Amino acid sequence: MKKLLIRIGMVLVLLVLLNWVYSKWFFEKDLRKHSDIVELSWAVTDDSCRIIYVGESSNNHYGDEEDNHQKISDITAEYFPTVKMGDLTKEASHAQTYYYMLKHIPATSAVETVVVTMNLRSFGPLWIYSKLETPLRKQLVLLEDRPPLVNRFLLAFKAYPIKTEEEWNDIVFEHWRNDTFNIPNFPWRTNVDWDYGMYSYGWYDANGQKDWDVTALACHYIKTYAFRIDDDNPRVKDFDAIVELCRERGWNLVFNLMAENVDKANELVGKDLMLLFRLNRDYLLNRYGNLDGVTVVNNLSLVRDVNFIDQDWTTEHYYEEGRRIIAEHLAQTLRTFYPDDYRDPKTLKRDAGHYYMEETRTLDRQRPYGSTLVLTADSIRPEWSMVNVAFEVKKHDDLGHLVFAVEKHDAQGGKYVDSYEALPQVTKNDAWDFATFALPIDSAFRSSQRIKLYVHNFSESAVEVRNFDVSFRPAYLKARVKAQSYKSDDGNDME
Amino acid sequence: MVFNSIEFLIFLPLVVVLFYVLPQKARWLMLLAASCVFYMWFVPKYILILLVTIVVDYAAGLLMERYADQPRKKKTFFVISIVSTLTVLLIFKYLNFLTENLDQLCASLGMETHLMTHIILPIGLSFHTFQSMSYVIEVYRGHQKAERHFGYYALYVMFFPQLVTGPIERPANLLRQLHEEKKFQYENISKGMRLILFGFFVKMVVADHLGEYVDEVYGHLDEYNAGAIWLSMVFYSFQIYCDFFGYSTIALGSAKLMGFDITDNFKSPYLSKNIAEFWHRWHISLSTWFRDYVYIPLGGSRVKFGRWAFNILVVFVLSGIWHGAAWTFLLWGFAHGLLHIIEKALRDKIPAKESQSKWLKICIDALCVLKTFVLVTLFWVMFRATDFEHLKEIFVAAFTHTGRPETLSIKPGMWIYLGLFILSDIVLCNTRFDKWCDDKPLAVRWLIYAVLLFMVICCSSVFNFPFIYFQF
Repeated sequence: MKKLLIRIGMVLVLLVLLNWVYSKWFFEKDLRKHSDIVELSWAVTDDSCRIIYVGESSNNHYGDEEDNHQKISDITAEYFPTVKMGDLTKEASHAQTYYYMLKHIPATSAVETVVVTMNLRSFGPLWIYSKLETPLRKQLVLLEDRPPLVNRFLLAFKAYPIKTEEEWNDIVFEHWRNDTFNIPNFPWRTNVDWDYGMYSYGWYDANGQKDWDVTALACHYIKTYAFRIDDDNPRVKDFDAIVELCRERGWNLVFNLMAENVDKANELVGKDLMLLFRLNRDYLLNRYGNLDGVTVVNNLSLVRDVNFIDQDWTTEHYYEEGRRIIAEHLAQTLRTFYPDDYRDPKTLKRDAGHYYMEETRTLDRQRPYGSTLVLTADSIRPEWSMVNVAFEVKKHDDLGHLVFAVEKHDAQGGKYVDSYEALPQVTKNDAWDFATFALPIDSAFRSSQRIKLYVHNFSESAVEVRNFDVSFRPAYLKARVKAQSYKSDDGNDME
Repeated sequence: MVFNSIEFLIFLPLVVVLFYVLPQKARWLMLLAASCVFYMWFVPKYILILLVTIVVDYAAGLLMERYADQPRKKKTFFVISIVSTLTVLLIFKYLNFLTENLDQLCASLGMETHLMTHIILPIGLSFHTFQSMSYVIEVYRGHQKAERHFGYYALYVMFFPQLVTGPIERPANLLRQLHEEKKFQYENISKGMRLILFGFFVKMVVADHLGEYVDEVYGHLDEYNAGAIWLSMVFYSFQIYCDFFGYSTIALGSAKLMGFDITDNFKSPYLSKNIAEFWHRWHISLSTWFRDYVYIPLGGSRVKFGRWAFNILVVFVLSGIWHGAAWTFLLWGFAHGLLHIIEKALRDKIPAKESQSKWLKICIDALCVLKTFVLVTLFWVMFRATDFEHLKEIFVAAFTHTGRPETLSIKPGMWIYLGLFILSDIVLCNTRFDKWCDDKPLAVRWLIYAVLLFMVICCSSVFNFPFIYFQF
């Protein structure tokens, strides 16, 4: 036994020696080879950047036909010509990766402000347990705070979750099956119930045949976004760690909540999914928006469907206008940190068919109408068949009655008004919230001589409206008719 | 649980410490529980299949012994045991293959059938069923007393170091040792650690790095020139050897830590001068299993040449099929058998001359080693190919992609790892790493440990390559 103890001692000495050799001659090479994200972080020292934008593919440009290849971070940088801004962009990454990227920014760097992409989708099981998790987690092993030899040992012996695609999928299904929404009077218990309901009833084409493509897309939206974020969510823990890290390093922290295609989610799935969007967004705003030194930029509903590149999948890949909208919104927040460096480059141009009114209007008994857009029939292009409308609303009590109205005037002087309730989409008082609508451009719309789109407050209570955003676009869905009702497992009918 | 994982590096020391701390009468239970945990780490429910085999063969052993004086009854229990074990193997390993081929056959006759099954092969099934069968055969032959203690018998089949990829142990070796009281000896720990370290080097540094190149070329045949394809064939020969040899060495070392000696499965097979010698050096526990339980009962070599050739072909085709349920494995086994027959026929016709000079003999031996290696390498292509189409694709590419510029870029480290392994294989031709270290001075030994440890930790591949023989 004594001999064994002596040998154990010798092994320990040997390991210390090997650690020294490895650290001195091999570790950096291994880091560059197996954890290449660290190179992005190291580059920050050379660049002497003061603002760092950390993100995934949502930062990039993907529209092949676009002339402008600027990233969101590049466009944002144009607002601050005297402040050097860099980006750490790693496709398919998430908050855990960002944490390690930020941790490895050298202490000597000039970084003052960190903008971290907050992607709502990344909080869902579909992303948390994606097959990409194996290579992502593998990348992080060498970056842990341990002696380099220990890290390399753990990498050699695969101390990260090695799972096949099937095994990851099983975990995702497990969550879809077991994670309940826990919302009173909500018609769906779990993601699987909901997905099955949509799959069973789904979408139909003009001939009354089930349109499987559109139904599958609607199901995909449910799979992607139908979840509740809570304190146990692994991504929440990662963002918490980022908050702590930024506090330690004395950096201003901005979480940039990326825009999702809420127009399409609303159109394909409807108000239940919109409720989950809002609940999850509110969770993030409440958790992080009230922390000292942390700002959350809420872009969630800011980009219209027409500005999303991927129309048959859920991504945060935006056309130039979408990228510019987010960059402009982010720049307004960064302006509070760099007021003297801010310059408006006036680059934000809306595409044809996209109308935007930034002004804030208070609609009350004296002025019940606001945010009015008037169009003549000839300004509606033949290829457009949908209109997405979004605006922000702030109500002060629950007594309001606010509608979004489409007024069609025909050649004979007739007037037809379609109105849509806006306040059911707004959950809180005294806070800005989004109301969105996706409407088909039907024959009555086309045959009108004049079309008026506006917001109308029918109640005594004042309601504020701003950022009235109307976007016309071509059809991307073959089907136009959603099944009139579909049922959840607990028997509730949905309309 | 795989050997090259953090879980195993925690599991093994824990088991070894418990083994020595516990009294002898409790050790079997601890080892059995540990083996169950080890096996269930993969897919827990598959332990039920193992349990069925164990119960049937355990009962068959006892019944055969009880009815030793009634040959007909004894034989009945023997047949029941063998048939039930083979049925398990047939269902879980071969049913997909059989039904798929039946579907194809029916389709060629103009009938549409959907018999194809999709059963997942439990890990290590071929190994532990063969180990179980060897016990039943030995008891039937009267060479082995039936094990009365169910726990010890279950442990014999499930002993974790060799459970999933062998060596396929005989009861005379392992079952006997399981009953022996093992005392703590520094030498066992030292030798076990040496073997484990060397096994990790062979698997994680050599085999897995080779695997990166092999997978790259075999997965993108269109993109590489003929040289790269031939080189990847050679690399695959070493990959499969290092992968299996590495695993077996870790198994040997793990068992040795507790004082158990399990069978050496390899003796530098690529230094064989002919295919017969190759099979005496490659996967020895399987070759001897087939020799003792198939080849000799068929008549072995004490028959006429034609009958002998038939016996050889049967054994090798069965060996091919044992490896995997696919026509390529069958072809692989057949090719080995055929080569064995051809070599024997040539040796009989051209007897070796005694008067050769020493250097001429060395040259001829070297050429024979090269010839055997080349042929075995070509045969490994059948083993690696997913089906005949893929096999054809590989050989067509190897002969036709001659003018292409795309070569395989090999990092210098790869040559160093492979060179070190080949050197070690030559040096350890007639011995084993742990024994070879014994007579080396302390400083030399520790220098070797330091180099191996550094290579295992710092130079091992970061890609995940499951042990190739796991699939069997």
